[in-house]
Amino acid sequence: MPERETARNKTHNRHKIVIVFFLCTIVFLLLAGRLGYLMIISSEHYTERAKSLHERERSIKAARGRIIDAKGTVIADNKTVCTISVIHNQITDPEGVIAALSRELGLSEDFVRRRVEKYTSIERIRSNVDKTIGDRIRDLGLDGVKVDDDYKRYYPYGSLASKVLGFTGGDNQGIIGLEVKYEEYLMGIPGTILTVTDAKGVEISTQGEERIEPVSGSDLHLSLDINIQSYATQLAMQVMENKEAEGVSIIVMNPSNGEIIAMVDAPEFDLNAPFSLPLEYQEADLTSEETQNVLNGIWRNSCINDTYEPGSAFKIMTAAAGLSGGVLSLSDTFSCPGYIMVEDRRMRCHKPGGHGGQDFTEATKNSCNPAFVTVGLRLGVDNFYHYFEKFGLLKKTGIDLPGEANTIMHKKENMKAVELATVSFGQSFQVTPIQMAVTVASLVNGGNRITPHFAVKSVGQEGEEIFMYPYTEDIISDEVGGILREILEETVADGTGRNAYVEGWHVAGKTATSQTLPRGSGKYIASFVAFAPAYDPQILALVIINNPQGVYYGGQVAAPVVKHLFENILPYALEKP
Amino acid sequence: MAKRKEEKFFDYSLLFIVLFLTCFGLVMIYSVSSYEGSMRYGDAAYYLKSQLFATILGLALMIVVANIPYHFWQKFATLAFIVSHIMILLVLTPIGIERNNARRWIDVFGISLQPAEVAKLGMILFLASLICQMGPKKIRTTRGFLTVLLMPVPICIMVWQITTNLSSAIIIFGIALLMLFVASPDYKRFIIIGSAGAALVAIIIFTIINISTSENMGFRSERVLAWLDPEAFAMDTGFQTLQALYAIGSGGILGKGIGQSMQKLGFLPEAQNDMIFSIICEELGLFGAIAIILMFLLLIWRLMVVANNANDLFGGLLVVGIMGHIAIQVILNIAVVTNTIPNTGISLPFISYGGSSAMFLLIEIGLVLSVARGIKLKDV
Repeated sequence: MPERETARNKTHNRHKIVIVFFLCTIVFLLLAGRLGYLMIISSEHYTERAKSLHERERSIKAARGRIIDAKGTVIADNKTVCTISVIHNQITDPEGVIAALSRELGLSEDFVRRRVEKYTSIERIRSNVDKTIGDRIRDLGLDGVKVDDDYKRYYPYGSLASKVLGFTGGDNQGIIGLEVKYEEYLMGIPGTILTVTDAKGVEISTQGEERIEPVSGSDLHLSLDINIQSYATQLAMQVMENKEAEGVSIIVMNPSNGEIIAMVDAPEFDLNAPFSLPLEYQEADLTSEETQNVLNGIWRNSCINDTYEPGSAFKIMTAAAGLSGGVLSLSDTFSCPGYIMVEDRRMRCHKPGGHGGQDFTEATKNSCNPAFVTVGLRLGVDNFYHYFEKFGLLKKTGIDLPGEANTIMHKKENMKAVELATVSFGQSFQVTPIQMAVTVASLVNGGNRITPHFAVKSVGQEGEEIFMYPYTEDIISDEVGGILREILEETVADGTGRNAYVEGWHVAGKTATSQTLPRGSGKYIASFVAFAPAYDPQILALVIINNPQGVYYGGQVAAPVVKHLFENILPYALEKP
Repeated sequence: MAKRKEEKFFDYSLLFIVLFLTCFGLVMIYSVSSYEGSMRYGDAAYYLKSQLFATILGLALMIVVANIPYHFWQKFATLAFIVSHIMILLVLTPIGIERNNARRWIDVFGISLQPAEVAKLGMILFLASLICQMGPKKIRTTRGFLTVLLMPVPICIMVWQITTNLSSAIIIFGIALLMLFVASPDYKRFIIIGSAGAALVAIIIFTIINISTSENMGFRSERVLAWLDPEAFAMDTGFQTLQALYAIGSGGILGKGIGQSMQKLGFLPEAQNDMIFSIICEELGLFGAIAIILMFLLLIWRLMVVANNANDLFGGLLVVGIMGHIAIQVILNIAVVTNTIPNTGISLPFISYGGSSAMFLLIEIGLVLSVARGIKLKDV
């Protein structure tokens, strides 16, 4: 068959077929190489990526660290609550879920429906649900409804030390006070539950789940004593009511190391309901910004966030500066005609007829303005400013609470005789109450400028951390400190501070009455700073009464508060001398 | 003629390889599609059943074709060529079926058929016949060369434009080119065509990268960009590629074990179709994947042996066309799945889900077996 012969495979045909085969083999080898690259070298990368794609994370909240007072009482704790969420793809009976959840949680059906019908992997319906309700929902056994246990902050003492402790938000994060300052210690590390799911988010039960346990936050131990805090709060509320005052602040601290034992800023607020508005605002239709402003006002801690004119209590600093600067000795005599002329200004003493002739101890007991103006003028602006700075008054105290205010003081170059004179008796500049308390404490504790603080240590799973605070030694000499303690004890024994006298406890202190700005508004601040025992100060208290009605002198209004406070807390806190 | 019964050859190894791949494909289709089958149709074996039906039909047809002397088909070559064109046009008529936004199927008595698959077989048959008619002298001439080269062009354009199936068009043209290469004694022209093609591809890719900042891009340009950096297009064009890479990469050397793929659980779209090889990699690992590649290489080697020993040029060219068809699809499929080339829909012969493809591939194997039967043992 010739035709058949011509159509026979030629040699070149066969060659080419073999070439095609070998080309294929080469390409196959290249592809196998590519596979090897993907499945050996890049395997880890892609496995990682694929795993993160297949795993769904549910976080487990860490228990927040507790806050514990000096005597071991828990003052901020956690209680178990539930978070209710739905997983869209696992819901088998949407209507039943909507009905049950809106009924149990008291939410509108619309609200629940929107979340149930939303196509997300997991949607939170409500957090901070009471545990009994959460358990009830769990018992219903609804498909696609997750009830996760969760923690909520709980303050057993309600409003006690509210502005100090602060509170937490919806995610248990600190919002104000110590709760935010020590957030990193308290918050802990949240854990996670990893479950393997298909592309629609349905869990694959055969794969099990992987848990990373949460690490609880560390407990925070404070120097605050809830008993003293409680008594101080009672006193503050009492005097606020009796004197129809706007607010009362009380700071109780250990002057030798800066530990704060109590800090009251009445009115306080309920830590378990920090966002509820006081009655007078509940009816008002406030914008969210206005509401926030009201709340910020309620949460504001005047002891550290606000400044005031310290008034006569500042004479302690003037005396310390005068004694340290060598321009003053106890035997110096001063005569007070009831006023003193500084340049062309006539500055009145609070006693219209004047105190007449007096030595420095008497001048302090009398709280005589002209005598202290004289001391200030003897020092001069440079010296005075030097001591003002040395005593630590120009800087913040460094207290472990957020939002401390700065001292408002004249610039040195703007300070002339008149300003110097007014500063000498505590006017024309402003400091925070904590600054005042700490500075007095530092002058009478032997001359060490201390840092006020609440937190003593944190105790967590990883161990204990004791907090250290800076301090500056020898801001005044022991000798000057001794003189101050002596004259201040006399001031209480039979001077303007006699209303703070407590039998047998050697209380020392200084009264102050200052006007609030603008002057002439008729508003006053009565205050008293005191410490005991005078020869070895172990407790220092500052009481500030803002705008008392009627009698407003510190010696009349604030000193009795200190007396009551000391009468009750000294036997409790100190050994009888 | 002394009528001593000649020892006839039957290529059992080829049959074994094909049966192995087909059965393996069925197992993998069940493994990959059971999740989607039960999700979408409430029947884990939905895809398996459908594929099993096409496979059985295909095997029956294969046996029939294997027993018909292949020269019988030569007289239908021109008819097959014309019918292929018509069937593609039928996609535009009401019997055309649209799936996944692509109109690629026609309804023939209740069975959906992909005309592009018919066209592949039709083209192989037609070109084999055409080249034989031209004879070895004419094929050497430029005119003969161009005739063979240009014959498949209209059908390629139709497959590309009407059924928006560029990959099938490329395969048809690739088959034609390969058959021409084997038929023609020439090398120079093919080197020129190859170089020109490579240059064209390079220019296209370069252009796309340069205009990638402009907003008006076709989906093919975007596919090229997604190919170069699939993670940058993770949410849209690069999604499937990236999911395939996750599957392949997470398989590692030994794989997760059959049935243990995670990516088939809805993460990798069309896992049982074009992307089945990536799930094979995930479940059976590098070893399994290379074993499958070796099976295909073995299959192509068998086809080469049959083609080289075919009784005549027509039979040889038929087998060369089928060999080209299978080789091109395997190469392109694995290249796509491993992101070696831009993503385009090409199924893996004998393994991917798809009735038309399985059926026509088995018919093609039937043809090869028929050609193999013509081989006299003394020739081997």
